[in-house]
Amino acid sequence: MPSFIKAESFKLSKKLKSWLGPLLVMVLVLIAFPLSIDISQYDLDKFYFSIIVVSLLMTAFVATEGMFEEDFEDGSLEQEFLKEKDFYKLVISKIFVYVCFIGIPIAFIGALFSFANGVAIGSFGKVFLLLSLSNLLLFNLFAFGNALSINKGAMLGVLSSLPLALPVIILLGRAIRSIQYGDGFVAVTTLMVGIGLIVSAIMPLIISAALKTHID
Amino acid sequence: MKLFSAQNIAYSINENKLFHNLSFEINSGEGLHIKGGNGSGKSTLLRIILGITSPSKGSIQSYETDLKISYLGHKNAIKSYLTPNENLELLFNGVELNHAFEWLNKFGLSHVQDELTASLSFGQQKKLALIRVLAQSSDLLVLDEPFVGLDQATADQLNSFLAQKISQGGGLILTSHITPMIDCEVLDLGVKNA
Repeated sequence: MPSFIKAESFKLSKKLKSWLGPLLVMVLVLIAFPLSIDISQYDLDKFYFSIIVVSLLMTAFVATEGMFEEDFEDGSLEQEFLKEKDFYKLVISKIFVYVCFIGIPIAFIGALFSFANGVAIGSFGKVFLLLSLSNLLLFNLFAFGNALSINKGAMLGVLSSLPLALPVIILLGRAIRSIQYGDGFVAVTTLMVGIGLIVSAIMPLIISAALKTHID
Repeated sequence: MKLFSAQNIAYSINENKLFHNLSFEINSGEGLHIKGGNGSGKSTLLRIILGITSPSKGSIQSYETDLKISYLGHKNAIKSYLTPNENLELLFNGVELNHAFEWLNKFGLSHVQDELTASLSFGQQKKLALIRVLAQSSDLLVLDEPFVGLDQATADQLNSFLAQKISQGGGLILTSHITPMIDCEVLDLGVKNA
């Protein structure tokens, strides 16, 4: 597994567009959206959490777009199959690297921009944790969509993964309310950690099976 | 030593039979040259042997559980946004990486080792893909059209490497429109007519 993580980290670090693009999209949305509503920051704290949900969805989708396409197109997936007979280690490493390289920085940017939008500074840690967990879930779901849609257009990926993202959005909304009103944050976060662990273990199996059907 | 055997394998796409009732064996120290016209199913047959694609009928039996296979398919499996050096460092380490760099020199790619692979010519990219296969220690080489895009000097180097590999007891399966300069069994899939 460490060799997979090392290889995927090296590949992603060389693809500037793949990791910098989503970060820039995040920054752009977080700056542009409040500006388009009201430059005086009136009631921006109420808007912030709506903005952050939309931003996370957009950036998670952009970040995972083409996650497996390149390896499929250049024949790396076939080589991987010959060595390992499945793609579980590859998929889990890839998602881990994408979350570390893109998901966590996005969560950091999101939490950082929460100050600019009137959220209390003391909530930084909580917002960062929630956004990181949400990204872990969303990256897994959109990776599944990406694996399904190889050679079939991004629309299939969106259609298949967006309904799965709805529970994540509902959970994130509940967690955000718990920060705003100081009610049940630990319980919601624990639930998100639990779901995150289960999804992170199971989704790579499903993605691995989807990739196998593509190379067959 | 027997490496693989195929029994009555057939493959069809949408009722269109690519090949049927193919039976053959692959032994260590032997080569198998699969030839045939465009669309006759050479690459598909290689993928069936490797277990990537399932045959419509028949079966492939592997006699070695820990068989090390090096495969060069139609797709080069090299990263166009990395340099040749980075591509090799991504794939190999230790002794194999040293072998890979030796091959880089032998194939005359050392002057482009720090350029992006995307900027290399088709032939240079093919050489890099071959290095990926040649630098690995393997029991069986499976090559799909390895001579396409190569200059004569490189093709000669490849032929002598393959001959040496067979003489050392390795197995070889290749598809090629160009008859290789090595002693191989031939499996002819014929020509597909429209």
